[in-house]
Amino acid sequence: MHTISSSAILLGIIRRDLTLALRRGSDTCGAIFFFILVVSLFPLALGSETKLLQQIAPGVIWVAALLAVMLSLSRLFNDDFQDGVLEQLALSKCPLELIVFAKTIAHWCYTGCVLLLLSPILALQFNLSSQSIEVLFLALLIGTPCLSSIGSIGAALTVGIKSSGALISLLILPLLIPVLILGTLAVDAVANDLPYWLYLYLLIAMSLLAGFFAPLASAAALRIVLD
Amino acid sequence: MLSTHELSCQRGRQQLWSHLNLSIAPGQMAFIKGANGSGKSSLLRILAGLSSPYDGEIFWHGHNIRKCSDTYRSELLYIGHQTPLKHELSAIENLLSLTQLHGLHASLAEITKVLSIWELQGKTIGLATKQLSQGQKQRVSLAQLSLLKKSVWILDEPFNSLDAAGSKILSQHLEEHLLIHKKMVVITSHVHENAAQIATSLSQIEQLIQF
Repeated sequence: MHTISSSAILLGIIRRDLTLALRRGSDTCGAIFFFILVVSLFPLALGSETKLLQQIAPGVIWVAALLAVMLSLSRLFNDDFQDGVLEQLALSKCPLELIVFAKTIAHWCYTGCVLLLLSPILALQFNLSSQSIEVLFLALLIGTPCLSSIGSIGAALTVGIKSSGALISLLILPLLIPVLILGTLAVDAVANDLPYWLYLYLLIAMSLLAGFFAPLASAAALRIVLD
Repeated sequence: MLSTHELSCQRGRQQLWSHLNLSIAPGQMAFIKGANGSGKSSLLRILAGLSSPYDGEIFWHGHNIRKCSDTYRSELLYIGHQTPLKHELSAIENLLSLTQLHGLHASLAEITKVLSIWELQGKTIGLATKQLSQGQKQRVSLAQLSLLKKSVWILDEPFNSLDAAGSKILSQHLEEHLLIHKKMVVITSHVHENAAQIATSLSQIEQLIQF
């Protein structure tokens, strides 16, 4: 038995959450299948009007990603709360804020990151130019961590509430709309030959801010739930 | 030394108990007895620093636990009435991640050894915890006691769902913790008979708090 550093504790939590996500595969895949289905249904329903598809592609992909992340959020802390692990997390040697941060990273790995990797393939159905796909990928890469971190606040606030999905959406959708707008604008800008970097910079700023402040807010909410 | 000063607890508008002055010296155990809903678990959660009391303070070696929460937490093991185990993980994986939370790394051999003390061996410890019985889950959760070597044990109904053999192992652990290592225990049980299962030598160092 030997002591380990805080970073090793956090890595342990990330690994544990990823193992759990793999073992309850059906739940994890649910959100991802939802994303694939929603994005693929649009080209089928709208037919082969290339221009229209190209125009709506960024919006459709971003909205689908947003909703898919939202679907997977309700279990982020609720499972740990139900089986008493949340108490152990709160009593850990590591501050709860950092633990929440680690759990958010894990959540991004099994939702946001998977959506991100699928998006270039799905974007092909919309006849997007390769540069648009590139920017869409970048925007999702920067934006999805923001979805996970802001989402964690909603998840923490609704811990212990049955069927919290709808409530989470109500709570955090308004906060996520800027991400959605900036993400789609970036891709639109490429199509219109406008500088898209501006939007990506703004997204980076939002992600960094959310990554820093959201764990603080979520940890505070969790402490109130446990009290 | 763990002590409380004029501790009160309120849930909603109802006052559960008040003016609790408790002091647990090394080698002592506080046995908390009371009816369902009398606030036993609330006291334990407050002592663990999970909930805040309505009024009053808790001191660890004379320091308010709010001011030395890091030191206090590093000495504390709280096991609530739920077994803090992930159903999808095996007993070994669960204990590995629980020890990690306390900043410790246990080797596979150490965990297997501790589980065998709790009479869990062979295939059982590799199975997903959801396939274990309630009593077996309780044993896995209590295996933390032997693994983590903390000074203060706060145990909420640890005898629940344990069979005679399991209760005996737990009693032995409590005995060793109190008599040999001179550490502290706070324990609840709604049936006092369980206390009788703890060796009679402990009865002198036990304080009974009845709500």
